[in-house]
Amino acid sequence: MAAELTLQDVSLQFGGIKVLQEVSFTVEPGQIFGLVGPNGAGKTSLFNCISGHYKPTAGSVRIDGTEVQGSRPATLAGHGLARTFQHPALQLGETVLENVLLGAHTRLPGGALEWAVRSPRTRRAEKELRAEALDLLERNGLGWAAHVPADELSHGLHKGVELCRALLMKPRLLLLDEPAAGLPHEEVEQLIATVRRLRSEDDITVVIVEHHMGLIAALTDRVVVLDHGAKLMEGTAAEAQSDPRVIEAYIGKDAA
Amino acid sequence: MASASSVSSAPASSAPSAPPFRQRPWVRWALPLLLLVVLVVAPLVLSEGVNETLARIGVFAVAVLGLNVVMGYTGQVSLGQIFFLGVGAYVTAYGVQNDWNIVGVFALACLIPAVAGLLVALAAARLGGLAIAMVTIALPIVGVPLAKRLSEFTGGSQGLSARFAETPEWTGLYDDQWQLYVVLVIGGLVFVLTRALVRGKYGRAFAIVRGNENVASSMGISPYRYKVLAFTIASLIGGVSGFLYMLVIQYTSPETMSFGHSIELLAAMVIGGAGSIVGSLLGGAYYVLIPELTNQVDPNLTSLLQGAILLVVLFLLPGGLASLPRALTRGRRRTRVGRGPAATPSTPSSTTGSATAEPAPTERQGHA
Repeated sequence: MAAELTLQDVSLQFGGIKVLQEVSFTVEPGQIFGLVGPNGAGKTSLFNCISGHYKPTAGSVRIDGTEVQGSRPATLAGHGLARTFQHPALQLGETVLENVLLGAHTRLPGGALEWAVRSPRTRRAEKELRAEALDLLERNGLGWAAHVPADELSHGLHKGVELCRALLMKPRLLLLDEPAAGLPHEEVEQLIATVRRLRSEDDITVVIVEHHMGLIAALTDRVVVLDHGAKLMEGTAAEAQSDPRVIEAYIGKDAA
Repeated sequence: MASASSVSSAPASSAPSAPPFRQRPWVRWALPLLLLVVLVVAPLVLSEGVNETLARIGVFAVAVLGLNVVMGYTGQVSLGQIFFLGVGAYVTAYGVQNDWNIVGVFALACLIPAVAGLLVALAAARLGGLAIAMVTIALPIVGVPLAKRLSEFTGGSQGLSARFAETPEWTGLYDDQWQLYVVLVIGGLVFVLTRALVRGKYGRAFAIVRGNENVASSMGISPYRYKVLAFTIASLIGGVSGFLYMLVIQYTSPETMSFGHSIELLAAMVIGGAGSIVGSLLGGAYYVLIPELTNQVDPNLTSLLQGAILLVVLFLLPGGLASLPRALTRGRRRTRVGRGPAATPSTPSSTTGSATAEPAPTERQGHA
């Protein structure tokens, strides 16, 4: 079941600096939602408020109507939230498969003692999720890399591995932080195809922070434009691109 | 070994046709079996001196293993591991002197250090980073005077000696053989259980807490809880090593848990290999053998020589002695990749595949 995400008057302050000012919007279940804005607009800070890595100074964040503001990130995984990071942080010495399997953590049963004696239940669960992880890699064109140490892959492939890791959590709400940053053109195309397939096959709500306007235009149902920590406008990607306020905020940057 | 042909077909079928040598079924059964036979026979044929040395290596290998759980695998610097060995040893000595049931003594020697470790960790893990190291430094520093003060239980500065686990007559074994067998059984069990734990779910969780706490928490892994867990397990294993210490050395004093020993234990872990099961064994061997070796060279230069060995090993093998095979295979792989056509990893061509798709013989790789 895809999740609904509601933000109401979310504000964030670091000392005297207002990073976010009363940002409100709702992401409907199953939507692909874009969060755009110039550098320093507060997009990633807003992301961190949703994922629990920052604690908003004021306001409320709800997933399916449940208040999650102030919850720890580790608790939010239980609400079906998964995220990727701007700079993919993989365990470089480990294989791609081991990295992806990290996403299975909350789905694997049993305590430390049970895993130390390798009870049949833990063996079975590990085997099943291993197969699922391999399948996930396969579907995202990374099956060949499953047993390769992560540090032998390119930056773009790291992003793919990180996405698979997040997907193995079976999230209902997926936050993607600049998934296209640093990717060559053809890999952006692949990424677009992957996210589209996610929505049709996996029934999942996706929120994307992105600079790449092409990707935003191709993927999102709706966008919110942030500028200086405040919501500038909300609408479709096409509306955003033709809105004079947005163009102004982006002046000197690549707005089109 | 995975051949080029099996890799180029990998996109179609995820299972490689020929599993690598270490994962073939008969190898997975034969190697442990062989090891078991060697371990059963060895105490019978080796001399008394060698048996005693092996038993001492076993004791400290267990202690290093515990340290590895919290520091090598979970990345939390602990300078207090020797304290838990000391507590385990004292609990054992006290229990034996009061004629408690030996199984109960063993349970207490595990439980009391584990509870002590849990309490320390609940506070220390809140601090994070090097603060944990600072808190754990306090353990041996407080432990030594505490052991002197509580002379009612610890025998003060004179320490406690206790002989227990007399060799049962039906075995027909000598004392050194019997002790080594007990160390092998208990220590072996701890190693097998820990090895299973640091792979799979908990191994990955510990590793990501060490690697990146933000990622850990976004995967539903609470860094705090897993640090506390790792520290508690390390303390428990420390307690087991304390029990074995009393079995083999039969005497403990406040000096047992001095800060210097804690640092030596840490050096042994780093030299053996942080985050490695085999490394813990090598670390135990280092802890016992190297001081004897340097003493033979020149007793006045012991510390200096040990420092030199530490530096040389870390310079050549930052991953410790246990990383030697991996360093060799990786080096070979790098040169092969370098010689091959320019790697374009975004396209799974058969050339890049053949160079890279072999599962690396990493530790923590779970069963296939």
